[in-house]
Amino acid sequence: RPFINTPQATGADQAVGFGLVGFSLLLFTYYTIWVIVLPFVDSDHVIHSYFLPREYSVILPGVAALILLLCVGTFIGVITWKNRKPKKVD
Amino acid sequence: MTLKTYTACSMMLLGISRHQSGFFNYNFALYLCTVFSTMTKLLEWLLGASLIGMAWGLVTFDLLDLQLPPQYRELAWPMPVYLLVVFGCYSLATVGYRVATFNDCEDAAKELQAQIKEAKEDLKKKGLKM
Repeated sequence: RPFINTPQATGADQAVGFGLVGFSLLLFTYYTIWVIVLPFVDSDHVIHSYFLPREYSVILPGVAALILLLCVGTFIGVITWKNRKPKKVD
Repeated sequence: MTLKTYTACSMMLLGISRHQSGFFNYNFALYLCTVFSTMTKLLEWLLGASLIGMAWGLVTFDLLDLQLPPQYRELAWPMPVYLLVVFGCYSLATVGYRVATFNDCEDAAKELQAQIKEAKEDLKKKGLKM
């Protein structure tokens, strides 16, 4: 039987996928300007009002990483708890 | 590391160590040659990472009193976190792109599900407990 349909991701998959790509591009651009470009810009330029103080460029990713670790750990804990088998009584 | 590099490296180190007194230096030079010639990928990565880490530490904490311009010091100290965030963004973008361009064959999937059902019924008839 010939293979007639062209394989393609469904609409929802494409939306989620390209959404992720767009989000990561935005995040990369904002963070790069914050960390790399801003030190070389005069401190009275208007662009500085769009960015938090420099310390937050390290604190915020640290907090985000902690939250991510918490979520992953909680998920693993819940799954392990659900799959625990009662011990056999001899 | 090729044999030529190993030979050159060992001759250089032995030449340096012979100028100094002591059996200890000669042995240390030989040990270094062995380490460099049998270096695994892990050791290479660790060595590279620790060199970069030391360079970052020198610039951030100004251990050598180099007195770099303040903008470069401001640029250097968030570097480890910045590299981690960039790596995270790249991973996220790769995963998203692969999800969006995944070749999903719905007809083949339905056909496979039907075949699985058929196989299960056939095995149940033959006595296999599911």
